[in-house]
Amino acid sequence: MARSAAQPGQARRMRALLAPYALALPAVALVGVFLYGTVNGIMQGFGIMPFLGMNEPTLDYFAMVFSRPDFTSSMAFSMRISIVSSAIALAGGIVLSWALTRAKWGRFPQLVGLQIPIMTMHALVALALVFIFSGSGLASRALYFLGLAASPTDLGSIVGAPSGWGIVAVYAWKEIPYIAFCTVTIMAHVSDSLGEAAATCGASGFRSFLHVTLPLCLPAALRAFLVVFVFSLGSYEVPFLLGPTTPKAMPVLAYMEFTNPDIVNRCYAMALNGVTALVCAVAALVYFALILRERKQEGMRG
Amino acid sequence: MANTNTQQAARTSRTGRRSSTRPAVRGKVLARVIVAIQILLALVPTVIIAIWAFADAWPWPDALPQAFSMRGMDLVLSGGAGGGLDSLLLSIGIGLASAALSTLVGAMAARAIALHSWRGRTAFEFITFLPFLVPATVFAMGVQIVFIRIGLAGSVLGVILVHSIVSLPYAVAIMIDITRAAGTRMEEAARTLGARWPVVLTQITAPSLLPGIISSMTMCYIISVSQYFLTLLVGSGKVRTFALVLFPYLTGGDRTVAGAYGLTFLVTTFAIFFASEILLRRLRALDNAELYAA
Repeated sequence: MARSAAQPGQARRMRALLAPYALALPAVALVGVFLYGTVNGIMQGFGIMPFLGMNEPTLDYFAMVFSRPDFTSSMAFSMRISIVSSAIALAGGIVLSWALTRAKWGRFPQLVGLQIPIMTMHALVALALVFIFSGSGLASRALYFLGLAASPTDLGSIVGAPSGWGIVAVYAWKEIPYIAFCTVTIMAHVSDSLGEAAATCGASGFRSFLHVTLPLCLPAALRAFLVVFVFSLGSYEVPFLLGPTTPKAMPVLAYMEFTNPDIVNRCYAMALNGVTALVCAVAALVYFALILRERKQEGMRG
Repeated sequence: MANTNTQQAARTSRTGRRSSTRPAVRGKVLARVIVAIQILLALVPTVIIAIWAFADAWPWPDALPQAFSMRGMDLVLSGGAGGGLDSLLLSIGIGLASAALSTLVGAMAARAIALHSWRGRTAFEFITFLPFLVPATVFAMGVQIVFIRIGLAGSVLGVILVHSIVSLPYAVAIMIDITRAAGTRMEEAARTLGARWPVVLTQITAPSLLPGIISSMTMCYIISVSQYFLTLLVGSGKVRTFALVLFPYLTGGDRTVAGAYGLTFLVTTFAIFFASEILLRRLRALDNAELYAA
C-alpha cells in the first residue's frame, strides 16, 4: 500500500525533473542541424570533405584566402558597410525610439513606422531605391526639372556605386525601425516611471534621457546592434543587387567561388565563410556577455 | 482649501519652470516631426513599387508614366510555369508550415527556459539564439552538401526545416515573454481540481499563450517568405518560392514585372500581418470583457 503510493510520487518527481529536457529537445535538434551544417561548411575550408575522401586538415585554403588581394579588399568593404550600417541603425533607432515615446501618438505610428519596414523584404527595399536612385530614376528626373541634370547619366547610379552607399541606405531603412522596435517598449516604460522621478528631482528632459533612460535601454539596443551587424556582414541579397563589381562583399565573393565547378574554389569559398563566421563568433560572445551582465545586475538589484 | 493650495502650488511651479517648459514642448514637436517623417519614409518603397507595377511606359525625364497596364500583374497572377501564382501559393504553404513548426518548438523551448530551472538552462537559451548570430549564408553553403547526402536537398520538406531553423530565435524570444507572463498558477489550479494534462493543455495553456502564438506565427511566416539565398541553396533552385521567382526580375530590365512581383509580395505580407493584428486586438478585447464580467 505504502509502496504503491510512493511510486506515483516518485514517477511524478522524475517527470518534473526530466520535463525541461524533453521540452528543450526539439529546439536542440533544430539548432543541431544548424550547427552541423555550419561547422560542416567551415570544415571544408580546412580541406576536410569526407564524401570526396579528403580527410587531411590543411590551412592551405586559409593561406590562399589571406594572400589574395581581392580578399583583403572584400573583407574591408564588408566590414566597413556593416559597421557603418549598424552604427547608423543604432543611433537612428535610439532617436526614433525616443521620438515614438515622446510623441505619444498611440499605436498607429508603430504599426506603420516600425512594422512595415520590419516586414518588407530587403531585396524589395533595394528595388525601390533602384527606382528612385538609378540613372533614370525619380531622383534624376527631379534634378532634370530643377535644371540640374540634362541626361540620365548625370546623376551617378545607386547600382554598383563604389562607396556602397546604396547598401548602407537599405540597411538603414530596414534596421533603424528594427532597433527602435527592440527598445521602444522598455524606453516607454522607463520614461513613464523613472523619467518622471528624474524630472521631479529637477533633471531637464535631455539630462534625464542621457543619464536615466539611455543607460537602461542600452543593453537591448546593443544586442539589436550586434544582430544587425552580423546580418549585414553575412547577407547576400543586398550587396549582390547594389554592390560594386570590385570589391565584392564577402558573401557575394564566397557564393561566386562556391558555384565554381572546381572543388578547390569550394574550399576557398568555405574558408571565406570561416573568416566571416569568426567575426560573427566574436559578436556572439559579446552578445552573450551582455546578457549575462544584465542578469547579474538585475540579480543584484532584485 | 487644500484644493486651492495645490492649485496655487501647481501654478507657481508652472511659472517657476517656465524656462524649462518650452524646451519640453519643443521636444514634443521635434518628436512628432521625426515620427511623421518616419511614417512617410516607411511608405515610400511600397508606393513607388505600386506605381511601377502598373506603369508600362515611363521614359526619362517624365514625372508621370505615359501609359498604365495590367501586364505585370497578369503575369504574376497567372498560373503555370511562367507565372507567379503557383510560387505564391507554395510560399504561403511553406511559410505556414515552417511558422507552425518553429512556433511549436519555440513554445516548448520557451517553457523550458521560463518555467523550469535546470542544469544547462542558460547554455540552452544561448544556443537557441545562435541562428540570430551566424549568417544564413554561411549556414546555407555548409548545409547544402549535408542535405544532398541525406536526400533533403531540393525538397519542400528541407526548405521548411531550414526556414524554421532561422526563425526559431524569434519564436523563442516571443514565446518566452508570453510564457513568463502566463505563469503556471492557472494550470496548477486546474490540476488541483482534477484536470488531466490534455485538458490543461487545450483549455488553459494554449488559450493563455494564444496571443504569443499568433505573434510568433506571423513573424516566422514573414521570415520564411522573405528567404531567398537559403531557399535557393537548400531547395537547389527546384523549390520555386515567390522570393525565388521574384529575385531575377530585380536585376532585369523589366521594371513593370519587377514592380508587380514586389507589390504582390508586399500586399500579401501586409494582409497577413494586419489580419493577425486584428485577431490579437479581438483577443485582448475578449480578455478584458471576461475580466469585467468576472
